[in-house]
Amino acid sequence: MPARPPRHALRATLALAAAIACDGGLAPSPATGACPAGFTGACGTVTFRGAIPESTQVVYVVAYQQFPQSTGDLLLFQPLAPPVLDLPSGPADTTATYQLALPAGRYEWVLAVWKKIGTLTLSNADSLLREAGFYRNPANPAQPGVLDIAGPRDSVDFVVDFGNMHPVSFYFPASSP
Amino acid sequence: MRRSLVVVLLALAPVRLVAQNAVLHGTVRDTTGKPLADALVTVVSAGQAGYTNSKGSYRVGGLTPGPVVVRIELIGFFTRTDTVRIDGDSVRHDVTLRPQRGVLLQDVPQPPTDTVTLPPVVVTAAKRSQLLDQAFTSIAVVPLAQIELRAVNTIDEAVDKAPGVQFLNGQVNIRGSTGYVQGLGSRVLLLVDGVPANQGDRGGISWDLVPLEDIERVEVVKGAGSALYGSAALGGVVNILTRDIPERTHVRARVAGGVYTDPPHPEWAFRSEPGLQQRIDVFASQGFERVRAGVGAGFLHSDGYREQDARDRWHVSGKGRWQSENRLTTLAVSGAWTHDAYDVPLLWCTTGRCDTGGQAYQPFKVDTGGLGDRTVSRKGYLQAVLQRAPSANLRWQVRGSWLRTGFVDYQRSGDDFSNANRLGLEIRGEVHPVGDRTVTTVGVEGTRSDVTSDIFGTHTQGEYAAYGESERRFGAVRVTAGARVDFLAIDGGGLTGVLSPRLGAVFPSRLGATRASVGRGFRAPTLAERFANTVVNGFTVVPNPALEPETAWSMELGHHAVVGPVEGDGAVFWTEADQLIEPSIDPTAIQIQFRNLERARIAGLDLSATAQPVTQLTTSFAYTFLYARELAQPGRPAQSLAFRPRHLLTLSADYRLGPASVGADFRYMSRMERVELFPGDVRVGAKVLDLRAALTRGPLSARLLVANALNYIYTLVPRTLAPVRAVSLSVSWEY
Repeated sequence: MPARPPRHALRATLALAAAIACDGGLAPSPATGACPAGFTGACGTVTFRGAIPESTQVVYVVAYQQFPQSTGDLLLFQPLAPPVLDLPSGPADTTATYQLALPAGRYEWVLAVWKKIGTLTLSNADSLLREAGFYRNPANPAQPGVLDIAGPRDSVDFVVDFGNMHPVSFYFPASSP
Repeated sequence: MRRSLVVVLLALAPVRLVAQNAVLHGTVRDTTGKPLADALVTVVSAGQAGYTNSKGSYRVGGLTPGPVVVRIELIGFFTRTDTVRIDGDSVRHDVTLRPQRGVLLQDVPQPPTDTVTLPPVVVTAAKRSQLLDQAFTSIAVVPLAQIELRAVNTIDEAVDKAPGVQFLNGQVNIRGSTGYVQGLGSRVLLLVDGVPANQGDRGGISWDLVPLEDIERVEVVKGAGSALYGSAALGGVVNILTRDIPERTHVRARVAGGVYTDPPHPEWAFRSEPGLQQRIDVFASQGFERVRAGVGAGFLHSDGYREQDARDRWHVSGKGRWQSENRLTTLAVSGAWTHDAYDVPLLWCTTGRCDTGGQAYQPFKVDTGGLGDRTVSRKGYLQAVLQRAPSANLRWQVRGSWLRTGFVDYQRSGDDFSNANRLGLEIRGEVHPVGDRTVTTVGVEGTRSDVTSDIFGTHTQGEYAAYGESERRFGAVRVTAGARVDFLAIDGGGLTGVLSPRLGAVFPSRLGATRASVGRGFRAPTLAERFANTVVNGFTVVPNPALEPETAWSMELGHHAVVGPVEGDGAVFWTEADQLIEPSIDPTAIQIQFRNLERARIAGLDLSATAQPVTQLTTSFAYTFLYARELAQPGRPAQSLAFRPRHLLTLSADYRLGPASVGADFRYMSRMERVELFPGDVRVGAKVLDLRAALTRGPLSARLLVANALNYIYTLVPRTLAPVRAVSLSVSWEY
């Protein structure tokens, strides 16, 4: 008659496994503009205005920890592979949700970047990239809103206006470094 | 006078012929009467020797009449020395060897006991055979029984459960050494039967290089191993040891089939039919006393568990071995070729990147930007090892190897390809001076890697090394010191030298064996890290031919003990790494470049235990605590090293009842504190339960495996879904 394993050991093992694995891991997260649990970054909606240019390749959402002081600083955006906005198919005002995954920290500029069809280099960035809209300070809409990210940050909503986009040279004229 | 001389010579000749051709033969057995193979029988006075075969028989020729001293040695048994009188053409001398109760205690007085438990023999830590508890570094052994129990498809799935070892999407981490760099620049060296087998271009590891059916066991050496193995052994060594060919006709065959569970949530449904997997493997061999050979082949198809995840892989392999009559000289040749065609679901899709059905992300579907991406990979190796033990005090071996890897990435943005070769040559000697308590291993090694690729260019890298390590016993204590010097040359340019010393000791006592070691490791930049020139996510990856080797000092203090039915091992480890090679973004241009960037500290605790509370039940526990930090530098604050979980826990249990068994593995990996690329993505820890059952009847065995039985949905690397629940049944037949 072979010996049987101690029952209390089996019970303890099963209880431990059940306790540790009681959640099922990742779960569906509706794209509501709210961040899912466990997310670190900014989430919200983008409201599109104006007609989408035919030369549009993509519109990204990016964030800067410090407002860029030079054209070189424009490359210090987060995240490295930014989320792409789901563009509307019709001319009417529509909204899209986004989730911008970011390392914890302070962000001084969250914006949408429109990119024209073409291969991007540092020299042609001014013609291929446009600032298409940014998250604004609720107290002073003329200024960018500052975000302190330590976990999920909801309702970071802003407008993308295809009729009022700004090239790199708008912020950094040719004479600036 | 001249005729007389001829007559005398003729008369003496038969006497001399007889005198020089006397043979000593017999059988070596243990105390239970079981024949012992591979015991070394040395006629000390004549300098002649031979090994026992699988039946325990030996034969030593070329002896002269008279008394001779015969020494019989086998690791794990007390050495026996007899005096035998050679008084004819053939003298029989049968021997019984008494087992040691753990060689680590051989110098410590032991109470008499009938129970003999020997630790396993390992060959990787010191480039020679030794008992596990004689090694001064931590070693995990994955034996054949565990590989078979787990019914895995590739060997990494079995090694993944070893204490302190963790896999991230196929990239191995030993005690947090590597992190995740998408297969580039592994800090773990892969060996196949002791022969280095990291890819020549990327330095990564192809885990399907060796057919699973041919694997006998895997040894994992933790900590810096560069003092013997050179570059890439910075974080440890994984040695895949293949099966010996038995002395008979032998056939092994395995067929397996399985199904992947559908996504656990309807929102993530992506196909109407479940994904399937099938495989078949066959290996056949014929072995004679002196010559043995075998061939194998196999095929695998998998639909995958997510969109764009299908795979077709086939392989062929072969091996052969020749031994001299006295078994002192052995030539082993082996090779394998694998063709692998697989879809690449690089990133899962998020809002706007595919039809997510209103979800923020859909982990089972691929990002539209990567639709249609697939890779065809071909890899193979050929290696030959010649070994000889010309005397009981000296063994040497020469080995040559060729590893060929190549791939073509088919992708929307343009196809990429790379073909690489790695040629290796090593000459190694092992010396045991007579009457000394010292064993010394010395060797020289050369490796030449070349690559032809549209990404990496056309380049060569030469690595030339000399090493030596000596172990000496002082009473019961074993002290080892050694060093290796490596010289690196890129494209035939100047040599860069790197010195890797190490020092270690094992202190046996009644409480077990305590080990301590300190050593320096290094890793030379791979050709891919130096010369990669491509575009990733709009960023240009630019070459950096000036990359320097990264280095690390590693220390370890460990203890191994057996207390009743429990065998335990614990170790604290500490690594200070310098000049770590990591991808870096250049802020002045849209560029990514591999640079010598980081100083890092990796420290932690490794605990493991196995217990057999009752005869039928085997349980095991392994826990690793990891503290992995990138140290602060000017303009760069300290932070956690990416892709290193702080806690890693593995629990296993197997219950046997006659021909049947059931078992389970549970693996917990804490949530990564930091990841790269998508640091804000939702991420969770890993909690994976595997269940298994087996039934063996004669030559047939059937194994049922439910991998990830809880269907826990998680990711270890950014936007890459880890395997979901899969149920598979495999049937093996052995003749």
